[in-house]
Amino acid sequence: MSSWEHPRLVGPLDRSSGTSRRCWLLATMVSIALLPLAFQDSYWRANLVVCALNVMLAIGLDFILGYAGQLNLGHSAFYGIGAYASTLLIMKLGVPFWIAFLCGIVVAGAAGMALSMFAVRLRGHYLAIASLGFAVIVHQVLVNWINLTQGPLGIYGIKPPPEITLPGLPVISFGNSANMFYLIAGFALAFYVLLDQLVRSPIGETLTAIREDEVSAASLGINCMAWKVFAFGTGSAVAGAAGAFYASFVGTLVPDSFIITESFTILAMVIVGGMGTLIGPVWGAILLTVLPEVLRGFGDLRLVLYGAALTLVVLFMPGGIVQAAQIVRAHLDRLRSRLKSG
Amino acid sequence: MTTSFTAAGQAQGRRNPDGVLFRSESLSKSFGGVHAVRDISLNIPHGGVFAIIGPNGAGKSTLLNLMSGLYQPNSGTMNLDGVDIVGLPAHRRVRLGLARTFQKIRLFKHLPVLDNVLAGFHIHHDIPAWQYVAHGTAFRHDYARCRDEASKLLTFVGLDGRAKARAGSLPYGEQRMLELARALATSPRLLLVDEPAAGLNAAEVEKLLDRITQLRAGGMTIVIVEHNMDLVMKIADRVLVMDYGQYLFEGTPAEAQLNPSVILAYLGA
Repeated sequence: MSSWEHPRLVGPLDRSSGTSRRCWLLATMVSIALLPLAFQDSYWRANLVVCALNVMLAIGLDFILGYAGQLNLGHSAFYGIGAYASTLLIMKLGVPFWIAFLCGIVVAGAAGMALSMFAVRLRGHYLAIASLGFAVIVHQVLVNWINLTQGPLGIYGIKPPPEITLPGLPVISFGNSANMFYLIAGFALAFYVLLDQLVRSPIGETLTAIREDEVSAASLGINCMAWKVFAFGTGSAVAGAAGAFYASFVGTLVPDSFIITESFTILAMVIVGGMGTLIGPVWGAILLTVLPEVLRGFGDLRLVLYGAALTLVVLFMPGGIVQAAQIVRAHLDRLRSRLKSG
Repeated sequence: MTTSFTAAGQAQGRRNPDGVLFRSESLSKSFGGVHAVRDISLNIPHGGVFAIIGPNGAGKSTLLNLMSGLYQPNSGTMNLDGVDIVGLPAHRRVRLGLARTFQKIRLFKHLPVLDNVLAGFHIHHDIPAWQYVAHGTAFRHDYARCRDEASKLLTFVGLDGRAKARAGSLPYGEQRMLELARALATSPRLLLVDEPAAGLNAAEVEKLLDRITQLRAGGMTIVIVEHNMDLVMKIADRVLVMDYGQYLFEGTPAEAQLNPSVILAYLGA
């Protein structure tokens, strides 16, 4: 009964075999390993790290929006909560990085669950407004709770994650962006695999049932409220992890990094990639991170180009990159069969 | 084959001593000033087809929605096999063995036919929690079992071979049958069917009647809200006639046909 239409992808749901998925996993690992070698200058290496962070944010939002169908416009808030929670624990209480990282995930996940519990009767546009309001509140708290967050002045001198010493290997330090990229991309991949396993299990069926029709889902024994809270908790926990890494990568934390427009950027990544698939938002995140950098040569015109590209995708390809890929594949198949037959 | 759909429900059931599966007493529901259901008391016995009939706006669908938990009553009691279900949300009632279809079809119309049925196994998955993240033997076993049962259900309703089609693309009659298959996936003891013949042609109605007869033979209790008197006469063991939200008559279909007040309600004075 939601009042907004979830864009649908053409064709049946992806049910690729286990072997082909393992091949893709291996290919992804190899690409992650090679990318910092291909991009040697620090500017592009930093962009690689931002790509990995955005992938985490996009797949987390997609779990909430694309699978459970909950129009969440407050994803930047969970990102910020994860960043500030972990950083404050490290800076104020001297908590070790990895424990603070876990706390950032838990606090962001709990915030997501709390938001969805309060908004339990809200659907579609109403939930969108409520989550947007939540993001505004979180941003304002970060700006105004000066004793804790130092407000707009920001927190400086956040250290990268501690060095890892493994027997027989040189010390792995996260002071350089290549190792930072390996760390964050590794976690992004781990979260991808985790969410992928979830959506391929009966949980995926349950969440899509809620997305399609809550009354029907309830008539099949699905506790819609509990599963929406689960989806929100999981998606926002992943955003919390991205936040904790963001703080340790950039080294400074200001509230404006988590302003609500960030929510819309993440939303755009999910839509451009193709919501309701996990791989789509990954490509969406990479494209929308790289595109503005590539367009930098156009000066202020790049914003116009960026906006035009987004509008065109939403108008003509509501299933995003995944839909485009499906169309191209269908054309290729037809071409191939025509070549074979004559 | 039909018996297997009800087996899970039967095993856990504690039978009422008087053979009553569902009982309600002075059930009432009003929307603003409209008394949609007024003081309805029901005894639905185990097994058989129980029809709720009445003219348009008699409150039949509201009564069904009260039974399924879509609405909560303003007053009265409801009891499914000894369990008080007033106040229990719809999803909890499904675990007690209550399933339903909708008058206005509510399929997951953007999902494939198979996925519609698979969603119906929600309460019957047998997977340890950690295997949702790391799929193991129990997961694969459950996966195969659900797909196997789903294809059996699709065969039962005559939709084998349509598993990959998008549910919304099916013709109306097939959508009704798919909704039936999806409800059966929950292994109900009490199946509520809301105006199943609406919009179906004669052949489709025949097919539907045949499936309902098979389910009844398998021991399932079926409550059917229906407009079509001919259909009710053919299939129902007992009928409840409602008018203006109130009880008018309860008995066998043959008795209902002869009852003067029922005739009056249907034909008007």
